[in-house]
Parts: sequence; C-alpha cells; structure tokens
Amino acid sequence: MRSASKALGLLAAVAFVVAFPRMAPDAFILSVGVVIMSYAVLATSWNFVGGFTGYISLGHAAYSGLGAYATGLLVIETGMNPWLAMLAGGLLVAAFAVPVGIASLRVRGASFVIVSIALVLILLLVFQSWGSFTGGSNGLRVPRPFGTDVLRPEQHERFFYLHAVLLAVALLTWWLIDRSRFGTGLKAIREDEDKAQSLGVPTFQYKLVAFVVSAFFTALGGGMYALWFGFLDPIFQFSILVGSYMVLMSLLGGIRSLFGPVLGAVIVGYAVEYFKAQYGDTQFHLVAMGLLLALVVLFMPDGIIPAASSLLNRFRPQAASIREVTAAELAEQRRSAADAEEREPVTEGARR
Amino acid sequence: MKVSTSLRLSALAATSSLALTGCISSGSAGGDGGDGEDAPIKIGISLPLTGDFSEPGKGVQRGYEAWADHVNENGGLLGRQVELTILDDQSNADRVAADYEKLINQDGVDLVFGPFSTRLVVPAAQVAQDYGFLFVEPAGAAEEVFTQGFDNLFYAAPAVADDHYDHLADAIEALPEDERPKTAAYAAMDDPFAMGTAYGLKTRLEEMGVKTVVDEVYPPNTTDFGSIAAKIADSDADVVVGGTQYQDAVNLIVALRQLDYQPEMAAFSTAPTNPEFPEAIGTETEGILSPTGYTPEAPYESNQEFVDYYTETHGTPPAEDEANAWTTGQVVAAAVEAVGCADPDAECQQQLIDWLRENEVETVVGPLTWDEAGRPQGAHLIQQYVDGKIRIVLPEDAAEADLILDKPEW
Amino acid sequence: MSLLLQSLVLGVLLGGLYALLAAGLTLYFGVMRVVMIAHSAFLILAAYLAWFFTRTTGLDPMISLLLTVPLFFGIGVVMQRLLISRLRPATLTMMSVLLTFSIALTIEGLLGFAFTGTQRRIRLPYGGANFEILGANVAVVKLIAFLLAAVSLGALFLLLKKTQFGQALRATIQHPEAARLVGINTDRVAGYGFGLGLATAAIGGTALALDSTIYPSLHWHWIGPLMAIIVVGGLGSIPGAAIAAMVLGLGQSLLQIPLGTTWAQTFFYIALFATLMLRPQGFFGGRLAQRF
Repeated sequence: MRSASKALGLLAAVAFVVAFPRMAPDAFILSVGVVIMSYAVLATSWNFVGGFTGYISLGHAAYSGLGAYATGLLVIETGMNPWLAMLAGGLLVAAFAVPVGIASLRVRGASFVIVSIALVLILLLVFQSWGSFTGGSNGLRVPRPFGTDVLRPEQHERFFYLHAVLLAVALLTWWLIDRSRFGTGLKAIREDEDKAQSLGVPTFQYKLVAFVVSAFFTALGGGMYALWFGFLDPIFQFSILVGSYMVLMSLLGGIRSLFGPVLGAVIVGYAVEYFKAQYGDTQFHLVAMGLLLALVVLFMPDGIIPAASSLLNRFRPQAASIREVTAAELAEQRRSAADAEEREPVTEGARR
Repeated sequence: MKVSTSLRLSALAATSSLALTGCISSGSAGGDGGDGEDAPIKIGISLPLTGDFSEPGKGVQRGYEAWADHVNENGGLLGRQVELTILDDQSNADRVAADYEKLINQDGVDLVFGPFSTRLVVPAAQVAQDYGFLFVEPAGAAEEVFTQGFDNLFYAAPAVADDHYDHLADAIEALPEDERPKTAAYAAMDDPFAMGTAYGLKTRLEEMGVKTVVDEVYPPNTTDFGSIAAKIADSDADVVVGGTQYQDAVNLIVALRQLDYQPEMAAFSTAPTNPEFPEAIGTETEGILSPTGYTPEAPYESNQEFVDYYTETHGTPPAEDEANAWTTGQVVAAAVEAVGCADPDAECQQQLIDWLRENEVETVVGPLTWDEAGRPQGAHLIQQYVDGKIRIVLPEDAAEADLILDKPEW
Repeated sequence: MSLLLQSLVLGVLLGGLYALLAAGLTLYFGVMRVVMIAHSAFLILAAYLAWFFTRTTGLDPMISLLLTVPLFFGIGVVMQRLLISRLRPATLTMMSVLLTFSIALTIEGLLGFAFTGTQRRIRLPYGGANFEILGANVAVVKLIAFLLAAVSLGALFLLLKKTQFGQALRATIQHPEAARLVGINTDRVAGYGFGLGLATAAIGGTALALDSTIYPSLHWHWIGPLMAIIVVGGLGSIPGAAIAAMVLGLGQSLLQIPLGTTWAQTFFYIALFATLMLRPQGFFGGRLAQRF
C-alpha cells in the first residue's frame, strides 16, 4: 500500500515532467518551465547543507555564479566540450568550497551566515573588477552547446529535460544520503550539535562534506543555466537575492523533506511570474518575497510538506502507524527539551 | 508514509501549476486578436521601470509612448494604429530575456523595440535574434554590444560610446601644442557605457601626448568618492574626465570641491545634460563639459515637431532618453513604411533589417546610417555650461556659444 | 605625502560612522544572539526619512533626528517583543537571520515603492564647504557626520557603563541566566537593547544622508562591511566592534591609494576570512564569541 502510493506519486511527477514541454502552449511558458526547473535544481542543491545540517546559507549564489562562470570560461578559453566543462566547473567549485567551508564551519551559525553573505559580495567585486578574465561589467557570452540550427523553442525543450536529469541526480543523491549513516549523523547535528559531538559524530568533517556536496550541485545548476541563458553578468550572477530565493524555496517546501525544495521552487517560480504580471511596475515583488519569507519563518518554519502531511494524517488517523506518530512526538519533545536548555550552552562555555 | 504524502503533494502541485500556466497566459490580452489589415501593429518593449536603471528607463518609456501617440494621431503606420506593450524587466538580465520571450511568443507582437542600458541590451538582442526579429535599441552604446555578432541590431543614436567626445578631442588637438593640457585624470564607473565614453577620450588625449596621471574605475554602487577625489586632487591634473552616469558625477564633483581641486577642464558624461544637474550642484556648474546625443535645439526637421509635441503633452522639453526612444520609433517606422510590412514572420523582419543596412534615416538626432554591426556613423555634440545654461559649444557649425577653455573655479 | 594624510583623514571620518553602526549590530547580537541583517536597511530608511524631511520642510536634516531616533527605538522594542521573541530558541540564530533578512527586503521594496529607485541626495548649502588642517582638506559635512557618530557612540558607552540600565544590559549580554537570577527582567532589557541598536541606525542614517547618495538597494553595500567588522571585532563586543571599525575604515581608505576603489573594498572580506581562519572568536571578543 505504502510503496504502491509512493510509486504512483513518483510516476505521476515523472510523467508530468516528461509531458510538460508537449503541453506548454508556447515557448514562453516553456522557458518559464526551464527557469523553474533550474530553481528546483538550485534549491535541492542548497538543501544538502540547509536541510541536513540546519546551517542556513544566504550566499549560495556564490557557487551557482562560480559554476556558471567556470563553465563559460572553460568553454571559451579551452574550447572544451560544454558538458565536460560544466562537470569540471562543478569540481573546481567543490574544491573552492573546501577552504571556505573550513573557515566558516569551524564556528557555529552566526559566522557561517556572515561568511556566506560576504562571499557573494567579494565575488561580485572580483568578477566585476577582473574584467580581462571574466569580461567584467561587459558580461560574458557563453557559446551555445547546440548549433544555430536548433531553434530557440527546441533549445528550451532540451534544456528542460537536461535540468530535469540533473534534478533527478541531485534528488537521488539526497535520498541516498538521507538513508545512510552519514545522513543520520548530519541530522543529529541539525537537532543538537553539542549532543551529536559528544556521541562521537565527527561534526566538523560531516558538515564540511555536506557543504562541499551542496556547492558541487549548486555549481552544476549554475553551469547548466549559463549554457542555456548564454550571458553572464556579475551583478546578476553574484546577487544575494538569487541566494535568498534558494532559501525561501527550500524553507517554504520544507527543508527536511526530499521534495520540499522542488515544491517550493514550483510555488515560488510561479509566484514570481504571477506577481510580475500583476504588480510589474512596482517594487512590490520585493515586498511580497520579504513578507512571504517572514510568514514562513514565523508560522511555518518546517515548510508546507510537513504541515500538510500532518494535516492529512489528522484526517486519516488509521493510515498512520503508531510508530510514525511517536516519532513526530519524540521530535517535538526533543525540541521543547532544547528550548528549555537554550541558555545552557553559554553556561557550559563559561565553565570550560 | 511521509514520503508518499509529499510525493502526492508535489504531483498535485505539478498538476495545479499546469492549470496555473493557463492563468499566466490569459493575463495577456488575447495572443492572436486578429491580424487583419486594420488590426493595430503591436510593438513589444521591455524596460527597467523599477530597480537600478528605473530613472532612465522611465524616460525611455515616456519617449516611446509619446512617439506612439504621435504616430496614431497622424494616421498610424501603414494606415494601422500602433499599440505598445511595455513590460517591466526590474533592471534584471534574466527578466529582460524572459520579457522578450513573452512578448514574441505569447503576446504575438509584430515588432520589438530595445530596452535600456547596455547590460540589458545583449541578453535581449539574443532573444530577438533567435526569433529573427529586427532589434533597434535606444541605449546600449558600448562597443561590446556591437562585437557580439548580432546581425539584427541597430543603435538609434548618433554615436557609440567611444566616439562621444570626438569633437572635444578634435578641438583640443587643434590648439597650439603649448596651450594643450599636459595631464589628465580619469574616473569611470565600471559600466561598459560610462567607461567607453571616458576611455574614448583617454585614447585620443594620450595620442596627443596628454599624460594620464590618474585612472580610476569604481563599482556602480560607489557612494563615497572621497578617496577617488583625493587621488585626483593630489595629482592636480589639468583635465578631469568622468565616465559617469548621473549621481556618481554629482558625488564626484562635490567631493572634488570639498578638496578644493580646480581643474582647467572638467568633462562628465550624461549627468550634466540632466535637467536636475544644476539643481544638485548649485551655481558651480560653469564650464563643465558634456557630450550629448540630443538637444531640443537641434535644427533637424522632425526635431521641431517632436519638441513641440512633447512639450505640449508633457509640459517640459524632452531629454536625451526620450529623444533616443523617439528616434528608435522613427527608425523602425521608416523601415516599415519603406518595406511595407510589419509582422513577426522572419521574411518581413529580414527585409526590415536589410533595408536599414542600406539606407539613411532622418531622425530627431539627425540623419543616421549604420555599419554592418549596427554602429551609428555620427558623433555627439559637446555641450558646456556657459553663463549658467547648458549650450552646444562643439562642433563649431552647430555651436550656440563659444567653448570656454579655462574653466572658472567651482 | 598630502595624499596619504588626506586618506588618513578620510579614513578616520569614515571609520567613525562604521563604528557607530557596528556598535548597533553588536548590541543586537549581544542581547539576543541575533544577526540583524536589516540593520543597514533601517540605516537607509533613516537616510530616506532625513532626505524626505528636508525636502518637505526645508529644515536641516539633523532636525529629523528628533523624530527618527525615538521612532526607531520604538520600532526596535516592538520588533524584538513581537517578532524575534516568537522564534524558537533552539534555531534562533538561523531563523532570526532569515526574519531580519525578510524585513530588509520589505523595507527595500517599500522604499522603492514610495520613493522610486531614483538616487537621492540632500542638497546642503554647506555641501562643498571645507577647511584645511596640515595640508589635508576636511569637508564640513563629513566632519559633522563624524561628530554625530562620535557623540552618539560616547553617549552609548556612558549609558552602558554608568547607568543601572546599562549594567542590566551588560549583565544580560554576558550571562543571561545569572542576570535573571539577580532579578533583571532580561526580556525587557533585551527589548530596550534592540531599540538602542536601531536608534544607532537612525543616527547613522542621518549622518550618511548628509554626504552621500541614497537609493533603496544601497543597504547591501553596507551590510557586508558591517558584518565583517563585527566578526573581526569579536561578536558581542562593543569596544571590539568600534576598534575594528576604525582599523578597517582606515585600512580601506589607505589601500585605495595603491589598489583602487574596487579592490580596496575587498579588504573587509579578506579581514573577515583571515579572522575566521586565525582567530574565530574575533580579535577583541571574549568567550561569548567562541560559541557563535
């Protein structure tokens, strides 16, 4: 019963993705589909660090931007095959993420967030200034991987499927980690880093690996977007807004669930178009995003999927096994226990 | 259980999102409202109406709208009314591409006009090129726009950024060698257009042997010009050249004045031609030079009509952004009238493109022709603040006042 | 030589403003462990209010402080009580980042909504006035901004050191548990601390508006350097933040001579990374910083 409905849901989602380009009424809708797919890839990639460890990075645009530039520059400078360049770009960015991760993960949350923002700002400055290499403010045009005989709507279609494949790989990786011992350790860090450490979880190494994997997939997402869009400008690549969209999407869908970021990407991607159509000539899209983020943080920090599934479960009590409920209750107990101990770490620190 | 619920939810979301795509499409007023003989010619435009480029973006919007009204009051294009669809790209490159994608595919426009700012022109031109559309743009003067291999692009203004100061450079070159300035300081915003103007003059001056003593590039978001001004003041250069947009020029001038630096010649792009400039700087504008692609006083035939019409409807004479937009309209209209078609199919668009390659168009900024990459083949006028008003000083045959060579103190 | 001196003067004047703003950020972090991303958005909001005040009344922008400082103090208290205190303590640091980030976005959007994206600048009769000391020119507006910052910072320091409220506040920062045990209402103190922090943004914003262009998205330009300053200074340490602000402001100003404007800006971030690599608790921070 469980596996059947699981398979059915997955099948429906896959069927929808496969059929979407055929159903899209025009090339514009198709291009919106590509953008939403790209959001989904980026949000899922973000969720490797955000979802597993609970460390919120506002600066993942740094990795998508670097991935995009690495891909573009490798293609232009070395004439490499664009798909190889994308992969190489992802690996380069992953290597770059190692020292950044070491610097920002040694200390707890606050510094991590600050570094994530600072990294975007510093990269923006560097890519603007180093014009001879990056194209600077003139932007960088990335050659298309497909010839000119492939018309634009068909480009959209191909890139839609390519993004879908990348998304599937990212989701599969997330799922595998989620079920592994490694994933259990990461989730322990998310719930209580001090306890995880005292239980022998190598927290720093675990966090670093999750961080690097996240940077790798984000860079691949950025690289693929670069190949599709064909034009890179530092102010749009290294933008805090891009990074914050990833956070909003993941958080909205639910950072603890596999499909949360994807759901968030679909909602946000659609909402962006909708707000644009309705309030296009004003700055209202910023206000809308700000308010939406605030509402999620204040009232639904676990996202839509957990909120909705608990709602569904309430209507169908018999469908949920006893164990599931206990697990949820346990989580709640854990959380309130953590609440009670909130100030304790400081005291401990003082004692040391 | 949990996973299956979330899966079902995402499937639900996916299905509903498909239903919603219908809503995005229906938002636009009927894609194919009929392409009969009398149906209006639909023109699609994306402009930065919000965000960092919104100020000039709105100027361009006023120019486009005035042009469309004017055309409609005078019998339309090919006897058909024109109808503008203007979308807001939020000063964002991703958006500008999506906007043209939408205009061409969903709104079914017959023609497109270009957006504002070099940074947005390239991604927009790419979309237009992929769909075979003619792309005439009112802003995007930087050399980089013309080296991307676009064969559908035309810049509707007299000169590309690098040539803006040509008349000034000529005038300096004409001076006896010992009267020429010896040193020059350059400060340019890190923006292809602004840098292009300053570096165009720099190249010319260096050829004449004017020594570059300061060469500063600052990011577009710079608000503190103290350190740059300190460098320029310390060099005590004879000439200061600002590759500026608007507010950065104001800030730089104030910062230079705070350091009591007095150059013999001061030239800034864009800002001094802005009507708000004397308001922001006060009375110390005397002698400041600026290149301009447009002035309401220009003697060209259609310009008088434009200035009268615009002044009547808006109460103020048009500025450069409005004029560039109007020019864009004039250029496309000339091609449409000559070829006799205005529809989105590739054949018509290609005819329009071919026609513009071969012909000269009379516009409010003078007659325009283009090279094979779409660069206009003219030069900008040089204006200077003389007796508190901005006047044309170069070239001599268009001059309203004499060039002041030794700038008064500011 | 005169260029060096000039840059030194400019650096000190800039550093003063950074110090005031960084002190505010440190206050939030101290009392609530909150990284307040919206600090610089409020800074720009105050600058806009000063600009709008001068435009509508024609009075000097500094008079607007009489309105904005109490207003911002009130907003700060309300924000802490109604929004920040709602967050789960276990995830407070992360969620408060997001919450204040969303406030920053909302402010930016509303400013764009109300005043458009046009860059604004207050025109002051003394805008270009300057005088010379030892061969360096000092702009009057920059000096006023610096003095405003210095006086406010001094007042804040006295408030923290000499008053009972200041003691309660410092106790809350250093040891909230113990502060509660000795009868300090830490919730109320935290609210006031938040209000004080936001009041520094009001003063800083007005000082900024005196000699700078403002536009809605300007706050991103400020938040990076300010964040770097509080990490380098040691999270939670007000004197540390002030010293780091001065050092980094001077450093940026001096580095502009050989490096140019753009690369000099990277100095803040290089200092940030270096600090985290070498001394993660910051150069002036105490044990508090070690855990965050």
